Amino acid sequence: MLRQIFIVTALNFRSLVGRFWQSMVIVVGLAATIAVMLSMLSLSTGMREAYAKAGDPDRAIVVSKGADQEGQSAITRADAPVIADAPGIAKDKDGKPLADRGLNSGVPVLRKDGSKGFTTMRGLADKGQGVRPELHIVAGRMFQPGKRELIVGLGAQAMFQHMQIGDKVILPAGQWPIVGVFATGDLLEGQLLGDTETMLAALHKTSYNSVLVRLTSPNALDTFKKALTTNPALSVTVERHSDWYKRVGDQSTFVLALLGYVVGAVMAVGALFGCLNTMYAAVSVRGREIATLRALGYGAFPVAVSVILEAILLAVTGALLGAFIAWALNDGKQSMFGAMVFHLSVSRAQFELAVTWATVVALLGGILPSIRAARRPVVEALRAT
Amino acid sequence: MRYLPLVWAAILRKPTRAVLTLLSVMVAFTLFGLTIGLNATFDLMAEKARADRIYTWPRFGGSGVPVAVARQIEAIPGVKAVTAIGFIPGYVQDPKNQAFLIMVDQNAAKVFGDWNISPQMWNAVWKDRTGIVMTRAQAERWHKKVGDTFTMISKAVKRADGRTDWTFKVLAIAEDVPQNSNGFVFGNYDYIDKARPTADQGKVSEVDLLATDPSASADVAQRIDHKFANSATPMQTITEKLARSGNDFGGLDIKAITHGIALAGMFMVLFLTANGIAQSVRERFTEFATLKTLGFSDRAVTAMVVLESALPCILGAALGVGVAAVLARQIPKLMPPNFGIPLPTISPMVILWAAVSAFLVALLSAALPILRLRQMDIATALSGRA
Repeated sequence: MLRQIFIVTALNFRSLVGRFWQSMVIVVGLAATIAVMLSMLSLSTGMREAYAKAGDPDRAIVVSKGADQEGQSAITRADAPVIADAPGIAKDKDGKPLADRGLNSGVPVLRKDGSKGFTTMRGLADKGQGVRPELHIVAGRMFQPGKRELIVGLGAQAMFQHMQIGDKVILPAGQWPIVGVFATGDLLEGQLLGDTETMLAALHKTSYNSVLVRLTSPNALDTFKKALTTNPALSVTVERHSDWYKRVGDQSTFVLALLGYVVGAVMAVGALFGCLNTMYAAVSVRGREIATLRALGYGAFPVAVSVILEAILLAVTGALLGAFIAWALNDGKQSMFGAMVFHLSVSRAQFELAVTWATVVALLGGILPSIRAARRPVVEALRAT
Repeated sequence: MRYLPLVWAAILRKPTRAVLTLLSVMVAFTLFGLTIGLNATFDLMAEKARADRIYTWPRFGGSGVPVAVARQIEAIPGVKAVTAIGFIPGYVQDPKNQAFLIMVDQNAAKVFGDWNISPQMWNAVWKDRTGIVMTRAQAERWHKKVGDTFTMISKAVKRADGRTDWTFKVLAIAEDVPQNSNGFVFGNYDYIDKARPTADQGKVSEVDLLATDPSASADVAQRIDHKFANSATPMQTITEKLARSGNDFGGLDIKAITHGIALAGMFMVLFLTANGIAQSVRERFTEFATLKTLGFSDRAVTAMVVLESALPCILGAALGVGVAAVLARQIPKLMPPNFGIPLPTISPMVILWAAVSAFLVALLSAALPILRLRQMDIATALSGRA
């Protein structure tokens, strides 16, 4: 049986060259479908990756109870030291806990194309760099605590105007100069950073948004969490930083990803009709060849399988071509959406998704023609012109 | 037209192929209609945008800026009318049913004269502090009619009594304006102001204004930004024209995306129809030779092939755009509310572009087979050796 499938399929593939343009309908159909879908998904995938990279299993974030975004959370000045004293937090060389009081605010920006948008301005306190060792200055210098200064991320610098060292950012009661450029390799690169306490005063805020801590080890989360959640003086939620960003990333990219899948699905339906068309034409062109094989004693099943395998080969070729186009056009390109700056991404998982979709389309588009090919009476097919 | 029966017979020879081609073309044009229709909506919004209207809101400030800012803006040269607005963002019953209320003062009637709100409706809201006016789109979303009660939860706007629910009475339902197809709800600023804690009273979320000279509105916007840049309440100001001109959706180039999708769809069907017509002509090569022998001119044969190619394209385009028009109306029910994407508009321009694209696909598909038919050697073709 397997040998028969192999022989019929090989014969089949050899005759593909003669049906080149007809076969290209499937290849182009899937290539167009996958190129469009993965290009759209490169947005949500890139955003999710930027979020995911910002999370670290060695860190935990503390927000007010029930808050699922930093913006909704408020940690009072009184609560912050209590949180920093909890067990499970790593200490710096002076024996101080690596716990940092964070602040978030939207800040209006002018995009490179002249349109107006906004990004996030984030406050880091004295332990900011200790908690986030991935943060390093690539130009200029770090902001000084207590001074009205900001540093800008590489991504923000690439996407927005007036983000060079020496430029000024309008804040309440005065403009703050940009004194440095930083890199983190994650979502923070699209943001501005400054000193938490100075920013807090300027924005007339009375509470922090979060406390971010470095754990002694990833396993220390439970100890830390238990200490905070059982403390009756606190009303906070503790989450592993990597879990936090995975959830926030999934939430904020859900609709974008859905749009990509919906458009991809609609195009896949169009490609499916093309696939059906091509495979029907293929079995009708190969009618006599198939009948000859059957007359020689080859079974109906190997014939049917060969038709489906041909559809899969063509569809997967098209899908890989489409995925490659989407990758070449988008992958790594600096992009933005709302307050997020990130790199578009067409990852390995996307290529696998493309192959899966192509296989499904080919199965659906190949099965009916394959049944027709296998069922056609041999004598009738041999006589047909 | 007299070739129509011949063409029809040719198409019906392979009914499966005809139907599958039609369906594929239809799907591609459904996407075409939705994407190009979305562009049409953005174009319409840009066209309807008023050159003289300006929006300004605090750069920082969750609880808003003192209403005094509105009075200072009134004093800026070139400003005609100013209205101060308080927003109530929140939800109805479940956080996923997001709702948004615009609470306005009496100058709103001047600044938003193009909102389709009758003087009676404005007056009703000024007289009844708990009253709101909804546009039809919003009334349908919340299943409200005149006289109904509308209750929403807002955690963003604090009330003096500590509650988070806000209750309103629907006084009137207004017609939607094309530039805001998702609709809006507005009420009386006095209500929100008096219900808030003393510390928050007199604060506004946004100040909207009209410039005396529409051509100078960008300057007025800049003057406002400049005036407040070093104050305790720096403002972010934008003209309605600029806000609506970029087809701006979070910084994404919507036009490039929609054009890309529509083009990919067209490319896909082009391959399909071109192959279909080429195959059909190849199968009937001898027949075409016979037709030519009978005295059919090259032009007649060309017309027949073009017609055979155009029929599924045009029919598929018509069906596809039709489906898009129906789907466009269903989108509000399918998408999360307030997602911010406006509804596609199947405008005459969209239909025209769909028709042009369908014709182009048909002509390109027919080009090669026509060339072959024109260059055919009748004797060889008749012998079946071509």
